[in-house]
Amino acid sequence: MSEVTYASVQIGDTLGPQEFYLSKDQVRAYAKATGMWVPRFTDDEAARKEGLPGMITPGNMSLAIMSKLVSDWIGASGARMIRLGTTYRQPVLPDHTLTLQGFITHKSENDRTAEMDVWVESEEGDRLVIGTATVHFPR
Amino acid sequence: MTTTLDLHSHSEASEDSRAPLEAYLNWLKLKRTERPVDGVVLTEHRQFNQEGDYRALEDKFGILVLKASEVETDYGHVLVFGVTDEMTRRFDFANVHLPAQEVIDEVARMGGVAVPCHPGRPNVGLCEHYTHKPPLENVIAVEVLNGGSRRGEDERSEELVRQFGYSAVGGSDSHLVSLIGLCATRFEGEIRTAEDLVRELKSGSYAPVDFRPRRKPVPHAVPVEVK
Repeated sequence: MSEVTYASVQIGDTLGPQEFYLSKDQVRAYAKATGMWVPRFTDDEAARKEGLPGMITPGNMSLAIMSKLVSDWIGASGARMIRLGTTYRQPVLPDHTLTLQGFITHKSENDRTAEMDVWVESEEGDRLVIGTATVHFPR
Repeated sequence: MTTTLDLHSHSEASEDSRAPLEAYLNWLKLKRTERPVDGVVLTEHRQFNQEGDYRALEDKFGILVLKASEVETDYGHVLVFGVTDEMTRRFDFANVHLPAQEVIDEVARMGGVAVPCHPGRPNVGLCEHYTHKPPLENVIAVEVLNGGSRRGEDERSEELVRQFGYSAVGGSDSHLVSLIGLCATRFEGEIRTAEDLVRELKSGSYAPVDFRPRRKPVPHAVPVEVK
């Protein structure tokens, strides 16, 4: 696949979709590595006692997963993600297949940036985490 | 002549949206065959943009832009169409505990229509409030198709419509550019102004329309090893 350039980016271009299986062990590994070893991120039974449907994915991990969609799209082009904003709509439950998807929605000639919508979707098509990102393309 | 409008959308004027109106209209132009809507209604959270003049953008993209509001009440969120100065003086739109029955009755008296939105949604929808409070009077329509609904929410809304005989509308509830126009309402009459919209909402001659693409089932992928 050819590297994305500012000139090649078109409104309506897609990011992904990328499907991947998020395991409980991956979530536990993230929780351990980031000092977030708390029951809601590591143990189903303890999470249920907090009123959750089971152990959930830390918000920062969802953010990281979404940023991977953008960074994969950037590739080795030299562009840089300068902003990623998210809204958490539903808990992201591990042991499910998630789909990452995005669309280019705007280009700014003045500052050579591209705006994009990105989200994490469940197997049922619910958008669990939605957001927007800005990518800058240096001259 | 029919008119298809996305009755529920949020631009960057709402605190939880980053979608500029121009980007919405550009997206609709790009997706015209998939989402054939004639216009959008901006329903910003807890405010009404009295000064906003979008005629230049309407002309540029050939898409109607109307203004309304999404307010918060003791029965959940409600879309207010045909907002007037009298309404914004009567109610503090920023108040998240507006009395729903008063909003519905007073908005109607002042020439508008108040439509409870995403009624099937927990906490902010009508269905949950109806489980422990008397039903509202004089509701003429509710939003049964909402682009942001989770599984089961629109089905609860449909059940509400069956039970109470409300008319049904649809809207994307878009907070992202690429989600605009996915759900809408098709009216039998022509709509060019907010007054036309109120007239058509009162007529009952409309139905929600769903432009969301059919989704292929996502297989349960094989777990990958953590690196």
